Amino acid sequence: MSESAQQTKIKKVLIANRGEIAIRVIRACRDLGIASVAVYSEADRTALHVRYADEAVFIGPPQPRESYLVAEKIIEAARKTGADAIHPGYGFLSERAYFSQMCADEGIVFIGPPPHAIEVMGDKQTARETVKKAGVPVVPGTEPGLRDEEIIAIAPSLGFPILVKASAGGGGKGMRAVHKPEDLPAALASARREAESAFGNGEVYVEKLLIGARHIEFQVLADTHGNTIHLGERECSIQRRHQKLVEEAPSTFVDPDLRRRMGEMAVKAAEAVGYVNAGTIECMVDKDKNFYFLEMNTRLQVEHPVTELVTGIDLVKEQIRIARGRRMGPTQSFLEPTGWAIECRINAEDPYNNFIPSTGRITSLNIPTGPGVRVDSGVYDGYEITPYYDSMIAKLICWGEDRGEAILRMRRALEEYTIMGVKHNIPFHQNLMNSFSFIAGMFDTKFVEERFSMTTYEESPSEEELEIAAIAATLFAHRERQRASQVVTRGERDTSNWKWVGRWERMHR
Amino acid sequence: MKYVTMVNGKQFEIEIERDGSILVNGERRQVDFLALGPSQYSLLTNMLSHNLVIEEREGEVQVLVRGRLFTSKVMDERTLLMAQRTGGGITDTGEASIKSPMPGLVVAVSIEVGQEVKAGQTVLILESMKMQNELKAPRDGVVQAVHVAAGQSVEQNKILVTIG
Repeated sequence: MSESAQQTKIKKVLIANRGEIAIRVIRACRDLGIASVAVYSEADRTALHVRYADEAVFIGPPQPRESYLVAEKIIEAARKTGADAIHPGYGFLSERAYFSQMCADEGIVFIGPPPHAIEVMGDKQTARETVKKAGVPVVPGTEPGLRDEEIIAIAPSLGFPILVKASAGGGGKGMRAVHKPEDLPAALASARREAESAFGNGEVYVEKLLIGARHIEFQVLADTHGNTIHLGERECSIQRRHQKLVEEAPSTFVDPDLRRRMGEMAVKAAEAVGYVNAGTIECMVDKDKNFYFLEMNTRLQVEHPVTELVTGIDLVKEQIRIARGRRMGPTQSFLEPTGWAIECRINAEDPYNNFIPSTGRITSLNIPTGPGVRVDSGVYDGYEITPYYDSMIAKLICWGEDRGEAILRMRRALEEYTIMGVKHNIPFHQNLMNSFSFIAGMFDTKFVEERFSMTTYEESPSEEELEIAAIAATLFAHRERQRASQVVTRGERDTSNWKWVGRWERMHR
Repeated sequence: MKYVTMVNGKQFEIEIERDGSILVNGERRQVDFLALGPSQYSLLTNMLSHNLVIEEREGEVQVLVRGRLFTSKVMDERTLLMAQRTGGGITDTGEASIKSPMPGLVVAVSIEVGQEVKAGQTVLILESMKMQNELKAPRDGVVQAVHVAAGQSVEQNKILVTIG
């Protein structure tokens, strides 16, 4: 790109998303004096993003594939409202190259990368090949389609343990961990058999098996003037079934040298596809601090706030600035984060019952505030959580001068956070913030699934706490029952029940 | 008003007096309990401040104390006395009397004088607060006296049936 890159005016942004991220983007628009347009499905008429936006366009039935995922409806909504730009948020249409292309064809600014970059990074194998050519390390492995003898010959060069994977794989089918060379032939045979019966395709390949690996990602930012920088890492190893639950920046595992090397790699990977706007390079880092490119997310991440808090950069504003064709604000990569930030994803899921999603009306909501506390929420008191969308209802992000302060603030904020009416995972976060492994920074991507339990760190309540709960419950029940019935024996009271209730109400207001 | 409240399997006897002061397991407690909005309560106990969220759900009272949710069951005198009918109530003379736990209407008397009854057997049905409550024999015995008849209204604590 050149110095003469064209500048575009953006006066109205349509947000092709819902929930907390839609509100996050609307806020950035407000800060910039830009008008906002929300889109909503039948299930979302009462959603917070609709209430918060300047304009709102109805786009169809609750099911995403009939509303939020229909590119034509989004474009139509933009045309109707005269929006000159579209922000896709995350999920939904954010990583569909054709949607970025449709916007370009319509003369609407897509606040995100060009279609080519989405396309290349969207296909795992192509992404791997592309960044590999640029000198970015990928998890070592063989090409698919080799014969057993070829695989057995290559395997020692990868170093054991290795993982046999089915090319057509998924759901762990046709997958075998092999720790010793002599076990490989049998593992290959059984993996092929399993893959053949599960996918009708017995093709396998092998990959180095990473033990105790962490998921660490780098935020990159690139503008149309040829500048590409990174904003440091995010530690995302606290996850369950590949679903991130807690993220932090920086990572306890990353030292300045590793940050510099991984950052350079991230910038190289982004430049390899001519990336523009905000993106994230996801990596696996093994226990010996070897890192490998996993994939690139060509959009704003859910966990972007932790980076914002340790860099002071408003990523959504930068996205809009870049989309306008301007130079981005920061001029060089961030190698020294300021303080520490942790994010807890607040999901309507029952941590005591296998994280089963919970729906229903939020009957009471108190959102924590105070120093170092940020809440990006998509719900309100009285809001009805429907079964159609993601169970993530808010993000609680805490900042501290160091990790210890951030954890203490997070504990305090979790204690303040009140959500009644639906089950939620705040107790999970409370237990995690008390866990020695988390406090010590000793965890990998398998920690929550294999070594964490809700009961380990849950102290049984003290006598005092139980008594307080008992007193409160009793006074509450007493009051409710009196109010409901006012059953009193005649003669027990000298005034009429009505007068008495009136006095009682005044007294207890 | 007497209550028995269960929290996490632990039982508390709580008495709320007419002037609003309370006794917890017989010990007096200073409390100041205020409703501050839907589900929002403030409780002061001996200068300790508790910011609480309380809601009733399916017959249970949920209390959120410092980010910790307690689920409790509050039994009032009526529920309690019903439960006690089957257990206590034996008088010094060896006679067991069944008293009305609350004001109500006797709907049915299912025993007669001289009849043998087993512990837990329903002897009388009392309607109160739009509910039919089965009063049961506290122990095995023979019905000595029936002091009421179906259709009769009774005050609280009236002796209804005596078993010897």
